[in-house]
Amino acid sequence: MDPAALAYLAAGIGAGLATIGAGYGIGRLSDSAMDGAARQPEAAGDIRGLMIVSAGLIEGVALFAVVICLLLVFLA
Amino acid sequence: MVVLLAPLMVPAAQASKASAEAATARTAAAADDLTLDYVVNRAIIGHAADGYYLDFSPFGSIELPRILLVRNPQGNLGLDAASSTKSLLKSGNYGIYPEGKDDLVTPGAELDDLIAEKKHLYGTVAPAGQGEIVVDLSITRHFMFGLLAMGIVAVVFITLANRYKRGIGRSEAPRGVLQNMMEVIIVFLRDEVAKPNIGPKYKQFLPFLLSAFFFILVANILGLIPFSGSATGNIAVTGLLAFSTFIIGQVNATADYWKHLLLGPPDAPWPIRVILIPIEIMGAITRHVALAIRLFANMMGGALIIFSLIGVVFVMNVLFTTGAAAWGAGIISTGFTVFVLLLKLLVAFIQAYVFTILSALFIGMAVEEHDHAHDEGASATASAH
Repeated sequence: MDPAALAYLAAGIGAGLATIGAGYGIGRLSDSAMDGAARQPEAAGDIRGLMIVSAGLIEGVALFAVVICLLLVFLA
Repeated sequence: MVVLLAPLMVPAAQASKASAEAATARTAAAADDLTLDYVVNRAIIGHAADGYYLDFSPFGSIELPRILLVRNPQGNLGLDAASSTKSLLKSGNYGIYPEGKDDLVTPGAELDDLIAEKKHLYGTVAPAGQGEIVVDLSITRHFMFGLLAMGIVAVVFITLANRYKRGIGRSEAPRGVLQNMMEVIIVFLRDEVAKPNIGPKYKQFLPFLLSAFFFILVANILGLIPFSGSATGNIAVTGLLAFSTFIIGQVNATADYWKHLLLGPPDAPWPIRVILIPIEIMGAITRHVALAIRLFANMMGGALIIFSLIGVVFVMNVLFTTGAAAWGAGIISTGFTVFVLLLKLLVAFIQAYVFTILSALFIGMAVEEHDHAHDEGASATASAH
């Protein structure tokens, strides 16, 4: 098989896997945040702030994968 | 964001392979520059990546100055400066490797053709004769917008600092939208970011944290303006910011931190220390590398998504020669672009905040004084962890 084709394939699969991971992570995060906000509505503001920061961190990890996928595409 | 980036992979993958045969065949009638290859490599990636020109297409482009540190055949170093890539090539001392080709085009008719087609903007400059380029110090697009961000931050905060010097904001209430807004942000960063994460020594590190925050914020927002570029979408810029955090942390680190880093946890038996010490050292470096990549990838990714969504219109136009496909794609991708643009505005703030809070956390880890630091007993320091 053409190595370039394999690299494109790997980039595509990698992007998909990164999406699954990030989606699961942000899903878990918002699940807990909603629970927390529902139980203690007075803490909703604090929870929202913490949630956004954590979401940024999770997204950052997913974007590492994106950088690797992009490298695979560009270097193929 | 990752979900939205997925469509990018497809045109990018198709581009270099399929464009040569498929696109050129289908777009024989289309404008010369509107091929798949052009859309993906030039319009999408070219805008997000760094470059030696400012692109204001369809109104044209402005070339930025080139400054090269060169070593001549005699081994002497010298600086070569030109107001643009074009004038550097016209000087006759430099040739260019056109994009994707390994043959140096030396000054002559072929080079003039390249310049006429504006292809010299995407090539790699090399000396035509003897000698070599040591460092390319050229002013690039990201560098320019980084300087612009720096200038804006400097002007705004020097103005505000002078106001506080005169007493406005200290002995009386802050005046004007700008001062009120900035004071809120600065007080927030001081009380919510620096104090809890660094501890009692926060004052020493506040200038760095505030500078980093506002520079990143302004650079991020500048990247959202059409035709501009985001300095923080460049790994060199974010790398240097993260490196500053690293150096500031290490220089101000306490003896406790070094002991923990180089000798391992005080109570651990030695086989565990053998494993833990390399992990600790690698962890200290990796978390700063991650700091740089996080900011870079967020900004770069956001720019690529926006350009890809706009690029879908052109890709559709190239793939299907009917105008209806492009119109349909245009309506959908305009909606998506607006959505992503608003999301990026949010991300611009979040990433500046995340960078600052993590910098504060890493510096705090290094400069943290344990309650009984005066007691040098190993068991005492151990219980602090």
